[in-house]
Amino acid sequence: MGGTLSSLYNNVSFGLSLNAREILRLQEQVTTGSRINRASDAPSAAYRVLNLSSQQRSIANYLDNLSEVSDVLEYASIAIDDIKSALAEAKKLLGDVTGGTGGGVSLNVTVEGINDALDRIVAAANSKHSGKYIFAGSNTSTAPYAVTRVDGRITSVTYQGSDLRRDVEVAPGVDASAFYSGDELFRSDVRSEPVFSGDCGAAAGTGTSSVRGDVWLTVTHDGSNYRISIDGGLTDVVVPPGGNANQMVTDSRTGQVLYVDTTGINTTGTEWVRVPGTYDVFNALITLRDRLATEGLTTADMEELRANAFAAIDELNGVLIQKSVMVGAKIGFLEELKGNLETLQYSTEDEKARVEQADIAQLAIDLSRREILYQMSLSMAGKLLNVSLLDYL
Amino acid sequence: MSNLSIGISGLQAAQKALDIIGNNLANAATPGYHRQRINFTPAYSTVRQSAIIGGGVKSSSITRMVDNLLEKELLRQGSSLAQVSQEYDTLQTVETALGELSGSGGLNEAIDNLFNAFADLTNHTDEIVWQRQVVTSAETLATKFRTLGSFLGELDAQIQLEAENYVEQANAIINQIARLNDDIEKMELQGTKANNLRDERDQLITELSEIIGVSVFERDNGVVDVEAGGIAVVIATRATELETGIMDDGSLGLTVKGALNYTKYVSGGKLAGLMNLKNTVFADVAQDLDDLALALIRQVNSFQVQGMGSHGSFTGLDGWPLTDEVLANFEPPITDGKVYIRVTDTATDTISRHEIDLATIVPADPLVGLTVSDVANEINAITGLNCWYDALGLHIEQSAANYKFDFLPAVLPTPTASSLSGGTVPTITVSGIYTGSQNDTFSFEVSGAGIVGNDTLTLTVRNGAGQVIKTLNIGQGYAAGDKLSIGNGIDISVGVGDFGATDSFQVAAFASTDTSGLLAALGVNCFFSGSGALNIAVRSQITEDPTRVATSLGADGTDNYNALRMSQLKDEPISSLDNMSIGTFHRKLVTDVGQQLSIRQMREDNLMVIVQNLTNQRDDISGVDINEEAAQLLIFEQMFQSMAKYLSTVQSTMESLMTIM
Repeated sequence: MGGTLSSLYNNVSFGLSLNAREILRLQEQVTTGSRINRASDAPSAAYRVLNLSSQQRSIANYLDNLSEVSDVLEYASIAIDDIKSALAEAKKLLGDVTGGTGGGVSLNVTVEGINDALDRIVAAANSKHSGKYIFAGSNTSTAPYAVTRVDGRITSVTYQGSDLRRDVEVAPGVDASAFYSGDELFRSDVRSEPVFSGDCGAAAGTGTSSVRGDVWLTVTHDGSNYRISIDGGLTDVVVPPGGNANQMVTDSRTGQVLYVDTTGINTTGTEWVRVPGTYDVFNALITLRDRLATEGLTTADMEELRANAFAAIDELNGVLIQKSVMVGAKIGFLEELKGNLETLQYSTEDEKARVEQADIAQLAIDLSRREILYQMSLSMAGKLLNVSLLDYL
Repeated sequence: MSNLSIGISGLQAAQKALDIIGNNLANAATPGYHRQRINFTPAYSTVRQSAIIGGGVKSSSITRMVDNLLEKELLRQGSSLAQVSQEYDTLQTVETALGELSGSGGLNEAIDNLFNAFADLTNHTDEIVWQRQVVTSAETLATKFRTLGSFLGELDAQIQLEAENYVEQANAIINQIARLNDDIEKMELQGTKANNLRDERDQLITELSEIIGVSVFERDNGVVDVEAGGIAVVIATRATELETGIMDDGSLGLTVKGALNYTKYVSGGKLAGLMNLKNTVFADVAQDLDDLALALIRQVNSFQVQGMGSHGSFTGLDGWPLTDEVLANFEPPITDGKVYIRVTDTATDTISRHEIDLATIVPADPLVGLTVSDVANEINAITGLNCWYDALGLHIEQSAANYKFDFLPAVLPTPTASSLSGGTVPTITVSGIYTGSQNDTFSFEVSGAGIVGNDTLTLTVRNGAGQVIKTLNIGQGYAAGDKLSIGNGIDISVGVGDFGATDSFQVAAFASTDTSGLLAALGVNCFFSGSGALNIAVRSQITEDPTRVATSLGADGTDNYNALRMSQLKDEPISSLDNMSIGTFHRKLVTDVGQQLSIRQMREDNLMVIVQNLTNQRDDISGVDINEEAAQLLIFEQMFQSMAKYLSTVQSTMESLMTIM
């Protein structure tokens, strides 16, 4: 290669600009701490970094939602435990007053105690968390249970929430619902044949009744025929002579029906009809309280009340335990999922750092080397461009 | 007196050589200068008494040291380098504008934030804070799209301006080349080598090649023809100017000034770099960005139009202004499909669903085809609704205060058709949210006859294709009023009563209440407006009232199904985006630009080395080596001194002779 002036200059200039560009690149990496500051620095690595950044944001969002769902479920678990405790208290009160272990506690006090338990259960069922009703299904802005009171006492509790749950995505492809429908939690749904515990001779018909919980079957005689009613006499049906093995009687207030085998009816009276597997916590206690408040209960009545109420409360307790376990299992699952997500979050951050971050030690060495090369280039350029034969002529 | 002429010829030759050396040294740093060498030949010699005596020295020519092949290669590579450098520099601005990886605030993050906001909303469907968060995230995203789209548009205009500038520069150079061709020809016709003029002209050709790729063709007498971009711009002494313009397909093209036959196939030089970027790379980036924005608009709107926010059903909805109300002219064209509108009469608590079948509407003007006005008239005929079309778009509103409407796909609470012959017809209640992917009508046929809850009584459920999907027991074992699931999210309950042997009823289930795409095209209950990156925006109805963000699909408006669907769009492959999700497509767009830049950087580096090497080779031949010129200077200085001494000696002999005489 010849030593022409322009080639000298060009080569020096080329070398210097190469070094300067490299120094600039290294300086940028040192300043930002990242070896990928734009997609063109390393396109495939940049794609990974963008993906990982997206994934990070996603996971953070999932963790937030998961945390919210877990909080609501924890709260729900506490509320269910509260309801169980109120039921247990009601059972104890009943046991004390009917088993003679109450130490002379009056019926009125027991009735009040059961009423209080009922109030407590309704309050728990209408629990709110962060301004949302937790047992209203997807309709979290409205109290799920509407109560009707007479003289301050709850006479009916109606579920007005939604039957739909509110699913939230807490992990890719994993939905979890925090807001259960109270109607799904606080009643049992394993219908059995109605149990007639009176002396009127009525029995369960062959059809499947739709009444729930406890029903009072009233048998009257109009002089010609027996008549049966389950709505306190608001409406009744005539029992044909000889009876009907599958006679339908309707509660005009609810539209629910009870199929009765009336062939064995031989006297008038009121029969307590229980439908196991259909109790809900509210109506069970309302029935219990109202029955206890009835005047003139005999010992046999109390025994019957105790047996039936205990059976209902035990059934409900079983349901609540089941639901409590279900909620607890979900909390446990979410806890585990949270752990997995946090691990994933850490792995993502780690991978992103490995792909993106610059090796500072290596950078320092490279930068130092480049600076030395740059200085040497400058020095050589100065020497080369300074001296020529003209200086010696 | 041949001695004197010999001496004088020597002096003159040395003087000329010194002039040439001086010229070389003076132009050592002149770009494009090719060093020159004087060529000497012995002067005319005389024969004297059988001895041949030389007549001194004469300068036969001055050679311009040039390797034409090397010069051409240098032109070609230099042109390529200029093109790649231009592309690299301009693409860098795009990468900077995309702004990913340079901290927070890029489009990638904005896309993620929008879908995360929808995900958050699934747990807070009726809370204004979360509804506003969705709207804010969407507005941020739309702003970023518009900023990018606007930047690309401005860059497009800037490229055009820059191309025009370059062409102006090229035209000036072309004219100069033609003038120099004329000067060179005149001079060389007189027998003189116009080396300096050639250098000047070749330097101009080099400058032109940096603007546009050129080919040079030699003619006689030092004249060259120059072709640029496949167009003959200099033919001998005649110059032809160029101009750029936009072709029919929107590409930037080059043509002879005043002519209209543009070419976009230009290679080499900054102009080719700009044209290539505008016509291919930027066109692709802008198209991809528009596709991305449009996919987002359409996907979100397709869910928004059918849903309902905590605001509830509507008393009035306005579409957006249209440029053309003929449905076949829409993009994409709307030719068929159905729209289902649910109307609620709050006075009687009845809900009805009305079908608008585009295929059965008779256009007012068959020659024009189906228009928005025709559809408006059809909707207007629905009890409870007023509908009309004007310059501001389609408008639907309640005809009386007790009516509300929406487009929810929620199942109606009672069967859509029934044939029941029992003595006491049972109340059949339908509920749930249909989760199927296609609209369907489920038929329920009673098997057996009798009272609900008794004996053997079943319901056979068939889908629209006639396939049995479920058999439900409503006889003994079924408590009247209990819910039965038929699958796909739909539940029914059968009340107290009795069925006849062949009783049946139907339930219509909807995955989509707008199979035509009409609602989204008209802007009715839409979330986004716009058709691309430049004009995407959140609709004012949504920004003014975030409760209209359609989170629910169920009749009571409390579920979060629609919000869930919208949040899951993040990972949904979309056919218009090459079956990639929105986020993946954007990330690919960014890294594609990065890849293009990276490739260009590598090419630039390679070409710089090639050009550097070629330049060094050229300098070996054509460059001025100070040391070599200095050595030549010494030689001819001594030659001059020698000739001067010789002349002095000759003169002295003459004087001696004269003295003798």
